[in-house]
Amino acid sequence: MSRLSVLVRTALRVNFGWSLLTSGQLLRHKRDWWLVPLILLGVVGLVPTMIYYIKLIKFLYDSLVLVGQTAAILTMGVLLGQFLILVFGLYYIIAAFYFSRDLALLIPLPLTPTQVMLSKFTVILVNEYLTIAPLVLPILIVYGLLSRKGLVYWMGAVLVYLLLPVIPLAIGGLLVFGMMRVINLSRKKDALIIIGSLILIAAAIGFQFWFGQRATGNEVDPNALVRFLSDPNGLVQRVGASFPPSIWATKALAYGLGASGLANTALFSMVSLVLFLGLLIASKKLFYEGLIGLSETSTAKRILSREQIERGVSSGRRPVRAIFLRELRLMNRTPIFLLNGVLAVVLIPALFLIMAKAGSQPEGLGRLLSLVQSGNPTVAILAAALFMAVCGGLNGTASSTYSREGAQFWISKVIPVSPTDQAKGKFLHSYAVVVLGLAASTAVLAFVFQMKASLLLAALVLAAPAGVVMTAVGMMIDLARPLLTWINPQKAIKQNLNVLLAFFADLGMIFGLFLLTRILRRLGLAGVAQIAALTFILLVMAGLSFSLLLRFAEKRLPQIE
Amino acid sequence: MIEYRQVSKSYNKGAIKAVSDLTLTVPPGEIFGFLGPNGAGKTTTLKMTVGLLRPDAGTIQVDGRDITREPLACKAVTSYVPDTPAVYDRLTGLEYLNFIGDVYGVARQDRLERIDKWLQIFDLASAVGNSIQSYSQGMKQKIVLIAALLPAPRVLILDEPMVGLDARAAHHMKEMMREHCDRGGTLFFSTHIMEVAERLCDRIGIIHKGRLIACGTMEELRALDRREQTLENIFLELTDR
Repeated sequence: MSRLSVLVRTALRVNFGWSLLTSGQLLRHKRDWWLVPLILLGVVGLVPTMIYYIKLIKFLYDSLVLVGQTAAILTMGVLLGQFLILVFGLYYIIAAFYFSRDLALLIPLPLTPTQVMLSKFTVILVNEYLTIAPLVLPILIVYGLLSRKGLVYWMGAVLVYLLLPVIPLAIGGLLVFGMMRVINLSRKKDALIIIGSLILIAAAIGFQFWFGQRATGNEVDPNALVRFLSDPNGLVQRVGASFPPSIWATKALAYGLGASGLANTALFSMVSLVLFLGLLIASKKLFYEGLIGLSETSTAKRILSREQIERGVSSGRRPVRAIFLRELRLMNRTPIFLLNGVLAVVLIPALFLIMAKAGSQPEGLGRLLSLVQSGNPTVAILAAALFMAVCGGLNGTASSTYSREGAQFWISKVIPVSPTDQAKGKFLHSYAVVVLGLAASTAVLAFVFQMKASLLLAALVLAAPAGVVMTAVGMMIDLARPLLTWINPQKAIKQNLNVLLAFFADLGMIFGLFLLTRILRRLGLAGVAQIAALTFILLVMAGLSFSLLLRFAEKRLPQIE
Repeated sequence: MIEYRQVSKSYNKGAIKAVSDLTLTVPPGEIFGFLGPNGAGKTTTLKMTVGLLRPDAGTIQVDGRDITREPLACKAVTSYVPDTPAVYDRLTGLEYLNFIGDVYGVARQDRLERIDKWLQIFDLASAVGNSIQSYSQGMKQKIVLIAALLPAPRVLILDEPMVGLDARAAHHMKEMMREHCDRGGTLFFSTHIMEVAERLCDRIGIIHKGRLIACGTMEELRALDRREQTLENIFLELTDR
């Protein structure tokens, strides 16, 4: 067996075998049975979401049949997958290529940089297949079934799905190689990694919008509209303009063995191959250049005077504050944690800002929202609260709070701080991140969507306790089964199954509230009464979940070995 | 004081017996050295003493309190140094010491005096303002040791404390251990260095396959087998059975 295949197999086993089997051994112990309701809550959230998603795909397909442009739905799927991989894959690449702890073991081994890079790349690739599956596979399957496609389509779909992450990951990899090579020369490496990653992500998003706008031209030009409607691929071209590989993939699937199908299959495969080879060649030269010495802190040694030490020494017994400060410092100073946790909450609002600057969809959404605001303020408040809760609450900070401690977890076990005080400190930190997300989303709603202050305030009153529930539930899930044996910090937060479980549980809660709202409306309650009832319920849920968290911490923390 | 009464611990649902029926008392003012081959149960015993692991059977009392029933009271008088200094490497040395001071509730003046003293002794004053990430392995071991000493604990539990320390730091470490016990503190540590155990410990325990197979002063251990005069030979003889 070649060295490369041994390396790749080991990397896959470490990342998927052990972690998913050992940390994924749900319900193995009796004490895990309390997770059943949470999993059910997750299923309650996931199943209707998938059903609505499939219904939406079918609705879009039926609408596109009328203009004979059903293939555009494939473009949407491929584009969605590739866009997510390009933006979020950057995090994965930086974490896996440069921050895995096993790199210190791999570098001294007789392996080439390309072999090490390939093993990491394979792990990311497999991860991406799993990540985009719930979004892209339903589109490929629904299209195939509704169009009554034959074997050629399904074979093409497998090929397209397998190649789908290659182009964005290769582009991301090349960008990251360049960035890390430069950063490794500098002194403030951690800060530059964070700034550089943000610039790369903003550039990736901005470029796609710019490309899309430039290619599609003026929206209201009647001639362009006629051309766009009469061309069977008009919509495909328009949707895929921001990332042409999605157009090639669409045509490869839609035209199968026809000339256009074969040509586009060849084009899509060749570009994937060329970019992948480019990554291999670049890794030979750039990978270790950016990696070796990255953990060195070349900043000037800061020698503290006796007076500075005296000033820096705190006093008294303040366990909750100490835990809060520890969480804040460790999260903000670890680039991977900061990017995936804290900055994730401002990413969605930032996307809306970029789109607004590019003059894209939000204007339309803004017009819609202003109509809703004047016509049905209750709906506007609920929509705004949902947006705030999603931006603030759907991040991995709370659901990785114990896992992030990793090998340092022994400290939390031996210090004389009660599990409840530790949970309070951690809760304060996780909720501070939620508050950041609430602030960012409120700013977007106020400045981009011009939402009225009174409606914003009402939405905040709903979203703030929802954030408490989401934080407490996330912390409880992580406390139930903390993942402490990670070697790559990405595994503690982004690839942590607890984060996914918490995400499902949050979706379940949102779905439950959605059903509740419908019931309140059917009861004929006035808008204000609906909001008041929801606020009351959320406040009760927040109080209950927080108190449950403290009780669970008291019971569970001593059990973790 | 630390008291173990019929303490047992196993892993893998009883398949691996790590510690078996351990009964032992370490009185105040005593340096107790724990010896044993790799996997004998030393670290498991120490981890149970500080609450990192829970015994399957038996009780452990620290300063007269049960670690399982009153963990906070036990932890408030205990400091622990693990065998590998896994510490928050994104904090500066001073931030880590402050964290420990805050959670143990060390008064400001005591904090200042002790930090100053131990930083000088372990020659870490010039690095305390820097991120622990930039420390060498030995420096990390030193900052964990200083943090353990900061609350002036009555009970010190040290797992292989000499590993990673340079000769000067190891010398200061041994002096500190003696001073700690001379002031009435209890010290329980594990080591593989026979010479250290022989010269430093008031009593030595030898654990093998989870069982305490010998325990006593150097003279008492020598009396077990008149042919063997060094601790190393006694250790090899006992653990070879």
